[in-house]
Amino acid sequence: MTKLFIWFALLGIVLTSPFIGAVNLELSEILNPESLANKIFFDLRIPRVLFAFFAGVILSLSGLLFQTLFRNALMTPYTLGISSGAVLGAGIAIKLGLGSLFFGIAAISVFGFLGAIFTVFLLIYLSQYLQNAQHTSLLLLGIALSLFYTSALMIVFYLGSAMQNDMLIRFTMGSLSVIGWTHPLMLGVISALLFLSVYLYRFELELLSISKSQASLKGVNTKKTTLTLLMISSLGIGTLVSISGPIGFIGLIVPHIVAKLHPSTVKNRIVKTALFGGFFLVLCDTITRALTTQSELPIGIVTALIGGPFFIYLIISKVK
Amino acid sequence: MIDIKDLTCTFNAQIILQNINLNIQSHLCILGANGSGKSTLAKAICGLIEQDGEVSINATDIKEFSLIQKAKLISYIPAKLEIYDSFISLEEFVLLGRFAYKRSFFEYSDKDKDIAQETLEFLKISHLKEHAVCSLSSGEQQLSLIAQALTQQSQVMIFDEPTANLDPHNTKIIAQYIKGLKERHQVILITHDLHLASYFDADVAFIKNKALTLYTQNFFNDATLSELYDVKFKGLVAQYD
Repeated sequence: MTKLFIWFALLGIVLTSPFIGAVNLELSEILNPESLANKIFFDLRIPRVLFAFFAGVILSLSGLLFQTLFRNALMTPYTLGISSGAVLGAGIAIKLGLGSLFFGIAAISVFGFLGAIFTVFLLIYLSQYLQNAQHTSLLLLGIALSLFYTSALMIVFYLGSAMQNDMLIRFTMGSLSVIGWTHPLMLGVISALLFLSVYLYRFELELLSISKSQASLKGVNTKKTTLTLLMISSLGIGTLVSISGPIGFIGLIVPHIVAKLHPSTVKNRIVKTALFGGFFLVLCDTITRALTTQSELPIGIVTALIGGPFFIYLIISKVK
Repeated sequence: MIDIKDLTCTFNAQIILQNINLNIQSHLCILGANGSGKSTLAKAICGLIEQDGEVSINATDIKEFSLIQKAKLISYIPAKLEIYDSFISLEEFVLLGRFAYKRSFFEYSDKDKDIAQETLEFLKISHLKEHAVCSLSSGEQQLSLIAQALTQQSQVMIFDEPTANLDPHNTKIIAQYIKGLKERHQVILITHDLHLASYFDADVAFIKNKALTLYTQNFFNDATLSELYDVKFKGLVAQYD
């Protein structure tokens, strides 16, 4: 019962989400193609809800993927420093005062993407030197990288002007605000690609969630599987973070929430995790818009404020 | 048939096994002290570790097999179940042994499921199939691992200390199954349990000081055992028959 209620509540919020925001929209006005309400609804609200949904899919699937591939409940692109890498990249772009680089793509996005991808390659490269690729060591590496990036970002802050720092602070808080359809469509394609690859590799993932050596003895090419999935996931995270800034907590908690709601092997949780992640981020985003007065509440704050207590509740209780 | 030529294995710049030569025509029991390299030898046969020398199965070098081919040829049953997924049921767990036979990207076939079901019935654990594997007892988990390996239908089965965590009764059950498997598989048994080893009734390879000695007979007597293990033996007692 609780399970069904949670899913239906989430679905309901997602469906009503485009109607919620700073401006109240009447249905009759929305349907008038000449009206401002129509423009707000179809060029701002719908793209934003879709963007939030796809972002949630990418974050939660990446979380599930990292946790399964490394058999560690704390592994996410966030805890491994990949998001911090993106933030540092974006910070450098802002400090250098770069506007748009090629074809009007913002320099912040390009540098953010490069920061994320660079971190993934660095982690893959460094993990070769870990004894038996111990996953706790990998997590420590990620945390060390995060701290390093944060300090480097402090230098950028220190050197930056007040205006640059304001831009940077807003970027680090994360925002799902998008205008038009370019970003939602881009993210839609990437999240579809990520979902498809995770789904196609579901049997390999199921075996990898037992143990790496057993998986390879059953015939799984563990290296190829791990590398392929990590690359696609990093592409998704890099793109997302470069547009929206870092959004924490989703990748960590959604896979665990879904596992609590639907205790089953990993291959049966892929679709549910993707959907729940998408719905959950739309919910958080709806709250930021509903509470808006002068300016919007940063999304990262809301995901942590809702996600944290709910996660703690799930850990200490048993959902039937 | 497994043929090992001049095999040397190193781990952390330490030589574990040196110049091992062994031809395994039928079943084999591998004995030796803790850390003597028994598991290393098993892993070398599976091609899981870096090694010098040559290991070949049916006259083909192990490195030339794809992972899928290798899975159809060898199955390795670890001493203890390692599992991160705490939800997977026994039925799903056993089915994983069919991965090498499955069409990539598609579900396990009905035939795969039938084989898994038959295996569960053969080992008399089909009543547990809905249970989460990590909630089972040590004895049941060992049977789960054997079931999973059996669905692989491989020529060679390597057991790595299958009774290390078991009580005498469960040891007897596992011992009888392992001995029974000799009829249809080439079984390699690694163990410290001398009762199991003697009951298993096969040639014994004893690893000591990085080298291997093969005993085709007269291994299980007090004099030999006392000398090899540096412990006084007065006959083996457990009867698994």
